[in-house]
Amino acid sequence: MALDSLDPRVNRLDISEDSLSTLVAKGNLDQFETYEAFVQVKDSKPFEHVGPVHAPNEEMAFLFAKEQYSRRGMFCNALCVIKTENIKASHFTDNGQDVYDTLHTEASGEEKESFELFHLMKRGKQHKYAGHVMARDYDDALAAAKTLYQGVKPVFNIWVVKSEDILSTDEEDRDIWETLKEKQYREAIDYRAQDKIKAFKEAQSAQA
Amino acid sequence: MYGGGNVFETMKATALGDEDPVKLAEFEARIDRGEKIEPTDWMPQLYRKQLIRMIEQHAHSEIIGALPEGTWITRAPGFKRKLALMAKVQDEVGHGQLLYSAAETLGKSRESMLDDLVSGKSKYSNIFNYPAFTWADSCFISWLVDAGAIVNQVANSKGSYGPYCRALERICAEESFHLKYGHHCVIHLATGTKKQREMMQAAVNRWWAPMMHFFGPSDKISVHSEILMRWKVKMASNDACRQQFLDMYVPKIWELGLTIPDDKLQKNPETGEWEFTEPDWDEFKRVINGDGPCNKERLAVRKIAEERGRWVRKALLAPKSKYVTPLA
Ligand SMILES: [Fe+2]
Ligand SMILES: [Fe+2]
Repeated sequence: MALDSLDPRVNRLDISEDSLSTLVAKGNLDQFETYEAFVQVKDSKPFEHVGPVHAPNEEMAFLFAKEQYSRRGMFCNALCVIKTENIKASHFTDNGQDVYDTLHTEASGEEKESFELFHLMKRGKQHKYAGHVMARDYDDALAAAKTLYQGVKPVFNIWVVKSEDILSTDEEDRDIWETLKEKQYREAIDYRAQDKIKAFKEAQSAQA
Repeated sequence: MYGGGNVFETMKATALGDEDPVKLAEFEARIDRGEKIEPTDWMPQLYRKQLIRMIEQHAHSEIIGALPEGTWITRAPGFKRKLALMAKVQDEVGHGQLLYSAAETLGKSRESMLDDLVSGKSKYSNIFNYPAFTWADSCFISWLVDAGAIVNQVANSKGSYGPYCRALERICAEESFHLKYGHHCVIHLATGTKKQREMMQAAVNRWWAPMMHFFGPSDKISVHSEILMRWKVKMASNDACRQQFLDMYVPKIWELGLTIPDDKLQKNPETGEWEFTEPDWDEFKRVINGDGPCNKERLAVRKIAEERGRWVRKALLAPKSKYVTPLA
C-alpha cells in the first residue's frame, strides 16, 4: 500500500512499504570531500575561516560555501575555499604561549613555493589570514613566517596552505554578491507588524 | 529549528573512572575558565559521545523539520509568502549542514549520521512527527516551534564545544528572520476574517500538546545531568527552557485574541512560574519511539531522497580521494 500523505508531492512519489525494505549503508565519501571556507567581509578586513563544506570538487565547494556562508544575514566581499587535506595545522598552544615561540628551525631562505598563513588569535574564535611567504615546504613556511608575522599578541594555532591550493573569488565576479540587496523578504526587518497588533487591540477594546 | 529534551545516553558515575585524572582536571579547568574546547583538544570519551549525539539530533531535526513546512511552499498564500517560506526552509537545511559538520569534528562521519537517521537509530525532534494540516499549522511552526528552538539554541550557543557554539551563532542570526516572519503570518491570520481566526485557533489547539512536549520531560536530578551541566554540554534544564518559552510567548499568543487549550495554564503571581496541565509523557514516548502520525512518512521521504540521489553522488565520486575530518 502506498504511503498516504497530506503533502501532494509525497503522494506523487508513490512510496510503498516494500520499496523501502532494503537499507544500503552509505559508502565511503558518499558525502564527498571536505573543504574549509573563508570569507572577507570587507576590503579592509582579512579573510576569516567560517566553516567547512562537503563537495565533489573545488568549484562546487565554492558554490556551496557561497550558499552556506554568504547567502544572507552577513556581508561578504570575497570568498575562498581550500580542500581541508591541503591545510597543514600547527599544534595548539595554551596559557598565552605563542606557537611561534615553540618553533626553533631556521628558515631555509629558499623561495621555491608560495604559501599563505592563517592565525588563531583567540581560542573559540576562527582563523584569520595573516600573510604570505615564499618557502621550501610547509615547515619551512612556518619558520619563514616566524620572522615576518610573529607579533606582540600570541598566536595559538597556525594553518599553512600553498597559495595554489586556494580557490578565491575573481575580482571581476564581485557582482555575485549584489543580488542580496533585492531579497528583503529574507530579513527580519521586513516583517514589522506592531501597528497591526495595536489596531487589533484597539478594535477589541472598542467592542468590549 | 530544533527540539529540546535531548535523549542523552544513560551512564554510570563510574564511566569516568578510565579517564586520565590529570587530563580530566585540565579539561574541566578550561571549561571553568569559560574557554572553548576545540576538536584537537583532549576530551573525555563521555563528553565526545554525548556531544555527537546531541549535535547529530539537532542536525537531523533541522532537515526533518524542513518537511512539514516544505509541504506548504507551493500552497502558501501569495508570491511573497512562498518566497519567504522557501528561504526559511532553505535556511533550515543549511542549519543541518552546519551542524553535521560540527558533529563531524568529533569523529563521526556524515555518512554514518545520515545512515543512522534513516535506520531510526538516531532521533530527531519529536514535534516533526506531527502533520501540518493547514497553512495555519505552517504559520504556528514558523513562529512558535522556531521560538522554542531559539530558546534552546541561544542557551546551547554558550556551551563549551567551539565548533557547535560557532555553528549556533550563525544559526541564531538567521532565526530572527524565521521568528519575525512566523509572527507576521500568525498576526495576519489572527487579526483577519472570522474564517482565518478559526483556522489559526485550530492550529494552536492541535500544536499545543506537541509544543509542551518539545522541551522534553522534567530533568531528573542525576549524576548524569549534573556532569553534563558542569561540562557545559547541557546549558539549561528542560523545565527552565519550557518556562522561558511560556514567559515570552503566552502573552504574545493571548494578545492576538487566541486561546490556549489548557485551562490550568497561568502564571503563579507568587512564584513567577507558569503552571499547566502535566503533558502526556506516555504519548511523547510512544511518538518518539516511532508510533506518531508522521514518523513513517518522514523517514520514507528522507530515504527515497537518498535512494534517488544515489546515482548522482556516485557519478560525482572521486575514486582516489580520502576522507578528512573538518578542521574547526
Ligand atoms: Fe528556524
Ligand atoms: Fe533552524
